Amino acid sequence: MPAATETIAEAMYQMVAEYMGKKNLKATDLTKAMIAKFGEAECTKEDCKHAIRLLIDSGRCVYSYFGGSYITLPHKEGAAPE
Amino acid sequence: MPDDNKKTPLLDELEKGPWPSFVKEIKSAAESEPMAADLLGQLELSYQEKISHWKHGGIVGVMGYGGGVIGRYSDVPEKFPNVAHFHTMRVNMPSGWFYTSEVLRKICDIWERHGSGLFNFHGSTGDIILLGTRTDQLEPTFQELTHLGFDLGGSGSVMRSPSACVGQARCEWACYDTMDLCNEITHTYQDELHRPPFPYKFKFKFSGCPNDCVASIARADLSIIGTWKDDIQQDNAAIAEYAAAGVDIQKDVCDHCPTKCMEWDGKKLKIQNRECVRCMHCINVLPKALRPGKEKGAVVLIGAKAPILQGALLSSVLIPFVPADELLETLKELVSRIWDFWGEYGNNRERVGELIQRVGMATFLDAIGLDPVPEMISAPRDNPYIFFKKEDAEAAGDGNGAAAQR
Amino acid sequence: MATQAERLTDIGPPDFRQFLHPLIKKNYGQWRYHEILAPGVLCHVAESGDRLYTVRAGWPRLVGLASVRLMADLAEKYSSGYLRFTSRNNVEFLLADPQNIEPLKQELAAAGFPVGGTQNSISNIVHTQGWVHCHSSATDASGIVKAVMDRLCDQFTEQKLPGKLRIALACCLNMCGAVHCSDIAILGIHRRAPRVQHDTLRKLCEIPNVISSCPTGAIRSATVDGQPSVEVIEEQCMFCANCYTVCPSMPLNDPENDGLSIWVGGKVSNARSAPRFSKLAIPFIPNNPPRWPEVVEAVANIVDVYARNARKFERVGDWIERIGWPRFFELTGIPFTRYHIDDFRYAGQTYARSTHIRY
Repeated sequence: MPAATETIAEAMYQMVAEYMGKKNLKATDLTKAMIAKFGEAECTKEDCKHAIRLLIDSGRCVYSYFGGSYITLPHKEGAAPE
Repeated sequence: MPDDNKKTPLLDELEKGPWPSFVKEIKSAAESEPMAADLLGQLELSYQEKISHWKHGGIVGVMGYGGGVIGRYSDVPEKFPNVAHFHTMRVNMPSGWFYTSEVLRKICDIWERHGSGLFNFHGSTGDIILLGTRTDQLEPTFQELTHLGFDLGGSGSVMRSPSACVGQARCEWACYDTMDLCNEITHTYQDELHRPPFPYKFKFKFSGCPNDCVASIARADLSIIGTWKDDIQQDNAAIAEYAAAGVDIQKDVCDHCPTKCMEWDGKKLKIQNRECVRCMHCINVLPKALRPGKEKGAVVLIGAKAPILQGALLSSVLIPFVPADELLETLKELVSRIWDFWGEYGNNRERVGELIQRVGMATFLDAIGLDPVPEMISAPRDNPYIFFKKEDAEAAGDGNGAAAQR
Repeated sequence: MATQAERLTDIGPPDFRQFLHPLIKKNYGQWRYHEILAPGVLCHVAESGDRLYTVRAGWPRLVGLASVRLMADLAEKYSSGYLRFTSRNNVEFLLADPQNIEPLKQELAAAGFPVGGTQNSISNIVHTQGWVHCHSSATDASGIVKAVMDRLCDQFTEQKLPGKLRIALACCLNMCGAVHCSDIAILGIHRRAPRVQHDTLRKLCEIPNVISSCPTGAIRSATVDGQPSVEVIEEQCMFCANCYTVCPSMPLNDPENDGLSIWVGGKVSNARSAPRFSKLAIPFIPNNPPRWPEVVEAVANIVDVYARNARKFERVGDWIERIGWPRFFELTGIPFTRYHIDDFRYAGQTYARSTHIRY
């Protein structure tokens, strides 16, 4: 049975939280990991795209930029003045 | 009493001279906008100290998008509090940078309400750059822009705002409708433009002819450059008029032809069109008399980029000719395969041109399902280090002609 | 009020068709030929016989509301409200009535915007943000452009050069302006290795990412005060600033060591010769704001020597290819140094591999 977008999004969220401060993850990293986790039949690239959109639109995750674009938990911008 | 912070003796020097002055522009904005006044002050400080006073970028943006806003913070906010936050918004320009005075005024009004009142018309990739605002103004600006019909452009690891030359709107040399194709591609890939899906940036640039007015071959990951397949359209009466008016056809036209495919006997210009490489020189010099042929389309080239990281690259030929009416479908089909491969194998911050350098063009062609053709190269390899595929070597060695049977 | 309306996303840019002059709409794809009536003034003739006139003016790219509104005013007065911008930051007014050309030119001149940039001129300089808005810039952009164009303004308003001459400026090696294929490129460069800020690096950056960002492998992990960090092997650093882009704790801006380099002979057009990269002419000129006289002189000198020596139609790169690099250095008086000889990847491709030498 195909994984629900919410299920994939939750698994992505857990992964982002786990790697926070250790490794920045890109959309492609999350997509590859989810396809490996759920299997190609249950989780397509398109499903992952929807899951990322759900995470970002809900505000649970944000895009960040340090030379490349990453998906992270919301955090205070390091360069922002106090 | 004059405030020392407001004195800008160094920048004042750049108000002098015949070329229009950006300092005058900032000063004019500063009359009514404190952000512009502090920008001027901080810039003066940079001129004194010979160093930038901006801090490294950031993660600010509008909700749901991963690009379009460049976060910027002053490193001297105590001196210049109005530029403590000074973020840039990139607004995707219309194809060909065409505007009406009415829409420009509306953009100005929005930016007067929400930002510094300073722009770049346009940024290097082609976006309208709204130069400087605070984090809390990003959403309201975005809201007003979208209701005017504008959207943000790209930044970060996205498809950057594609750009096109003036094309068929005002150029007789455009071999396909650059502005329409640019518009179609931009609208087709809105998700890829706003929500970073790639290892790094990806640029499309659409030039209507080999003069390449948008520097596609130097700057675009996918360069679409118009050309034609049949004979140059030739108006002999007009050539005679040019000659009568004093144009030296032999010296100014024939002698500069890179393949020496033209002959002028003083009366008639003979072109060996089979030898023509469509460089545009003769057409540029004799626009009334010579024009691109009727069988029009484009060359698709891949891989250009500036030096960071492994050195600058020019795009190289991927498809020697796509008829004009097949360009949109061909490009869609092509980029989906390119993006799949790049997404799978590209390293962080690796442009597609660098990926091709790393894995080799032949491997890349296999991956995207294109056959090698001699138009792709300037010469075959000159080193003998050939990575023969195992199955080809076995086929040659087993004497059974296995390869031939496959 | 817009702020209370529905939130729109992914609408893309507006359709360009709504911004096209009626003459353009009518003759779209049906243009026959064009003429350059005067520097900065074009006339496009359609198959229908219709004529569209274009007046092109240079402006600073970094502009305020007042100038944008002035262009809107002028467009309404002279070009039925239609205007566009070029890929080199020029503004173009699209006119149906040739009677409007002269008064528009006069108003532009009175407002300080020169008309030109066509054919064998120096068009507007494509450039980056510099100290106005960039954290990694080794120099300012707008200021040098202003100073150079002040000096070369006559070359914008006239068409007297042997060929087109395109100048571009980028304030660091990132080259947001993609200056690497310009007749003359002015490029900001750093010359000092990044100074690692160990205390913030731990908070802001991923060490493996910082290490892998270096194209020459000059960054390695290190323990500093008992904490994980990185160190830079300075001899291996080529000052590209890629690590700084990835990690803000690797700044390499340096007032005394940052400056400019000058590159020549690149082009993007396929006309006659193939597109090619610009090559190094001057490895370093110190920053000297506010008007960078050494940079202005260096550029003006190259333009001058080119103008006097190149043949008709030759771009800077075509001219140098014909006369050879030794003669280029001789004619311009630019000293040739060890820095001109490539030592990065595939360096041998630019070594002289023949006995073809002019004496």
